[in-house]
Amino acid sequence: MKSLATVLQDWEAVIGLEVHTELTTLGSKMFCGCKIEYGAPPNTHVCPVCLGMPGALPVPNRAAIESIVLAGLATGCDIEKHSMFYRKHYFYPDMAKNFQTTQGPVAFCMRGTLDLEVLGASAGERTHLQGTTPLAREEGYLTRIGITRIHMEEDAGKLVHVGGESGRISGADYSLVDYNRCGMPLIELVTEPDLRTPEEARLFLQKLRTIYLTLAISNCSMEQGSLRCDGNVSLRPRGSEKLGTKTELKNMNSFKNLHDGLAYEICRQAEVLEEGGRVRQETRHWEPASRRTISMRSKETADDYRLFPDPDLAPYHLSDEFIQRVAARLPELPDARVARYLAAYVLNAADARALAGEIELARFFDAALEAGSSKLAKPLANLLLNEVSAYLNTESVALAETRLDPQHLAELAGLVADGTISSMQGRQVLALVFARGVSPAELVEELGIRQVSDTGEIEAVAQTVLDNNADKVAEYRAGKTKLLGFFVGEAMKATGGTANPKLLNQTFQRLLS
Amino acid sequence: MTLSPAEYASLSLGDIRTGLDRRHFSARELAEAAFAAIEALEAGRVEAFLSLTPELALRAADEVDAQLAAGSGVADIGLLAGVPLGFKDNMNLLGSYTTCGSRMLENYESTLNATCVSKALAAGALPMGKLNMDEFAFGSSTETSSFKKTHNPWDLERVPGGSSGGSAAAVASGMLTASLGSDTGGSIRQPASFCGVVGFKPSYGVVSRYGVVAFGSSLDQVGPFARSVADVAALTDAICGYDPLDCTSQDVPASFSASVVAGQSDGIKGMRVGVVSEYLEAPGITTEVVLAFKEALRHVQDLGATIVELELPNAYAALSAYYVIGPCEAFSNLSRFDAVRYGFCVEGATNLTEQYELSRAQGFGLETKRRILLGNYLLSSGVYTTYYYPAQQVRTLITQDYRRAFEQADVLLTPTSPRTAFRFGEVSDPTSMHLSDIFTIPINIAGNGGLNLPVGLGEESGLPVGLQIIGPQFKDGNILRVAAALEATYDIERLAPLSGALSGGAA
Amino acid sequence: MHVTPKALREIAATARIGLADDEIESACRDLNLIIDSLEPITRYDLEGVEPTFHPIAGLNNVMREDVEKPGLTQEEALTNAPATQNGQFKIPPILGDNGGDR
Repeated sequence: MKSLATVLQDWEAVIGLEVHTELTTLGSKMFCGCKIEYGAPPNTHVCPVCLGMPGALPVPNRAAIESIVLAGLATGCDIEKHSMFYRKHYFYPDMAKNFQTTQGPVAFCMRGTLDLEVLGASAGERTHLQGTTPLAREEGYLTRIGITRIHMEEDAGKLVHVGGESGRISGADYSLVDYNRCGMPLIELVTEPDLRTPEEARLFLQKLRTIYLTLAISNCSMEQGSLRCDGNVSLRPRGSEKLGTKTELKNMNSFKNLHDGLAYEICRQAEVLEEGGRVRQETRHWEPASRRTISMRSKETADDYRLFPDPDLAPYHLSDEFIQRVAARLPELPDARVARYLAAYVLNAADARALAGEIELARFFDAALEAGSSKLAKPLANLLLNEVSAYLNTESVALAETRLDPQHLAELAGLVADGTISSMQGRQVLALVFARGVSPAELVEELGIRQVSDTGEIEAVAQTVLDNNADKVAEYRAGKTKLLGFFVGEAMKATGGTANPKLLNQTFQRLLS
Repeated sequence: MTLSPAEYASLSLGDIRTGLDRRHFSARELAEAAFAAIEALEAGRVEAFLSLTPELALRAADEVDAQLAAGSGVADIGLLAGVPLGFKDNMNLLGSYTTCGSRMLENYESTLNATCVSKALAAGALPMGKLNMDEFAFGSSTETSSFKKTHNPWDLERVPGGSSGGSAAAVASGMLTASLGSDTGGSIRQPASFCGVVGFKPSYGVVSRYGVVAFGSSLDQVGPFARSVADVAALTDAICGYDPLDCTSQDVPASFSASVVAGQSDGIKGMRVGVVSEYLEAPGITTEVVLAFKEALRHVQDLGATIVELELPNAYAALSAYYVIGPCEAFSNLSRFDAVRYGFCVEGATNLTEQYELSRAQGFGLETKRRILLGNYLLSSGVYTTYYYPAQQVRTLITQDYRRAFEQADVLLTPTSPRTAFRFGEVSDPTSMHLSDIFTIPINIAGNGGLNLPVGLGEESGLPVGLQIIGPQFKDGNILRVAAALEATYDIERLAPLSGALSGGAA
Repeated sequence: MHVTPKALREIAATARIGLADDEIESACRDLNLIIDSLEPITRYDLEGVEPTFHPIAGLNNVMREDVEKPGLTQEEALTNAPATQNGQFKIPPILGDNGGDR
């Protein structure tokens, strides 16, 4: 198979996404009062309604409707005041009623957009830039992705396949059904086929996730399945307007899998087409282990779901007041946050975006800045994006689960910025703050660590280094000025990292001149 | 002091209230007398019950007695204190099986109380058992029940009507003082007419549908059976009102009994009573029904009401609309019966589809399968726009007809059924069976309320004939007021002659 | 509009109702008889007429507050199940039909 880069020279990939998001932050399910909890023992968060017991009736959760309106407002959608719930019929054992309650032709949210800034290596994947806007002062482009709709529906239960080939449906001896997830509020966002590269798809999902996390409507965990993404892909020859036959891609349960699954599928389709074959309209399953997609089901004939308005549920006529009340709850969205950071602080665009892209870091950053001076923005951003992120990754914990609080981080940034301790000491202190949750200033006191900024002391150390390395001094004087770094390094070693590097630099320069 | 089954069978709700208050009998004696009456008349005779719940009934009776002993008055306990009540078997009652008359649910144990059930229990009713019905309420004779045929107490060779045939027959025979049924196209009013009792389907939304196994969700409505207008009004007062578990239930005041009092004391002088003359030429309508209807109109005039001729130009299409909307909703509602979480399940299926297809083929009866297939067909793409969508548009026209008609009239009178109870097997093909519902179906399409008032025995058949009183949507008080006034002009025995067996020492 | 035996097989299959070959013909006849009786619906000119999906005019926005309520215990949930295992509903293998996916 050809590489993606080669394929995209000749073919244009047309990609649309369907993103399912469970509203995990709500207190109860979509149509009943059952608790929302991941990983509970099977069939313990169920009731007659979500089990589809005869006689049970659904009543919609107001907070779920507010959440989807919030999602629509945050993605530039028109909020449709008049819509209804429909019943979508198909027999499948994870669906208690054998119909899914979902929306019909009119969804709560229609016709939105999301702007993607595609930078650096990500931008490199796109070979043809028509339809995009170049970014000023940065390597990359801006592309606008249309959102067709976001509709409200309910999730299905979970199936476990027993026997046969390790949990697969094919060859299973029997299956088991757990309805805890059945009836969870689920919003489905459908994009226009506006994405052109797997990287754009990945960035879109990442940005959408950040928005949803900012809105606090879901924990958006791809691992737990509260954020799920299917992709529709087709190819057409460069320059052609006519859409090719698409395949639907499932099981891309991480950002990497989304990218890799789409990339594989694009290459596979190109191979089929270039060999004179025809792409079959079908659903395909991405298998990360073998890094390929396999056919699951032909979709040549349109599904007939016997959709009709649910007579048990009242139609919606949302008032302006309802929509305004929800709009008033809209928090600062990632794009606005980036703009604010760039306007208010000395931060580069990449750092601002990186922070805004991780809502937890961004909130922490804001809180730390509230506790400290705005001059600390840059060191705080550095600490959060480097040391703190690295710690969270290694320990696999969320920031909120650590003992670090924003005041302490601001204090630490201040201690480094004013030269009280060196950045190396700063890292040492941070590790202790994570471990013990005490104030950095106290730790500095307790450990007796201080950056050596006494000029006499510094000069003595520097002189010793120079005396011990007479040969290097000669080389330096002969023009090999790069050796300055070596001298500083030796001095740092000698002081156990406590010397003020700036002072060391200045001192060596003076002594050697 | 013990209450004999024969005495029990003649009691009204008011008699029970007085009897308990004056300690003429206890609630436990009421329950025991009721079970004795059932013992005497049920097996081999009426066959109205699918299950009895004596433990629940006696426990409820003892609670009522305990409250009385503690000094509570009957009124404090509730509107239905000590009333032996039966439930159509599509109503979930904790501690009972809810079968819907279907093999599919033969062993289904309720996991909840329907709201109408819990309200009745909260009002002090004694839950006696579950009553036979057409399978999933698909039918007009109770013959499609998977389990048994219920017999009309007026003539055991005849059907009790349906689908709430068990509910009607149990009250007409004197086994129960009252019962609840559900009505999707006439399933309360038509069996009430066949069995000569009062049956009331309030406007859609007056009684919560929660816990009542759905047939047609936009058509179904729960209502009571009893032997007097006052009794059905009291029952409705006890079970009506907004229920947070049913989005379509409405916050209506419990003022049905007040309307009955108004009818009894103030009469209906000056009220406008509508009739549609062409209804008397409906296909299959019998002379005795026409005669009884005309006699009722004379009573109405004697009471000082004005007869107004009305037009319902789209009513003729109501039957068609009903046979689109009903099956479509039923197809959808019955999809859940898949032998996974509950329900009849074949043994040894090798894959899930086989289990689905065989369980549903064997668990559902013929008429049920017919409606599921019809609904599935009518909702399929291409067909949807030919029947389902237009049917809902025609529904708009029918609703507008009624709205316009009720600008000129306070109630509308029609016969309840074009004929009296028929013999078992007499009406077998589905389309003629549907004709027995021509007067009742349009009311479900429009969502209005309707009541069957017995107006005597047919001159030819000697069987009960019913008058249907229809009101404007959510003005069900009009219906009860007219029914109460009209009821007083008749001197009619509501207990079927069969109940005579109770005094004959059959128990 | 009439249902053919072939169409009826498809309808029965999507409604998951097994019909024996000898049932197809009579079921077809019954259905077509009812479909004929639906004819009045098709005679209307319904241009501009809004459908009535819900019989209560003006019923809208019925919702509940987002409050957790106790449901059934696992035992209660499984009471009526034809087959269970480890707190779950047990079903025969799903494949063998088109059910591998939705």
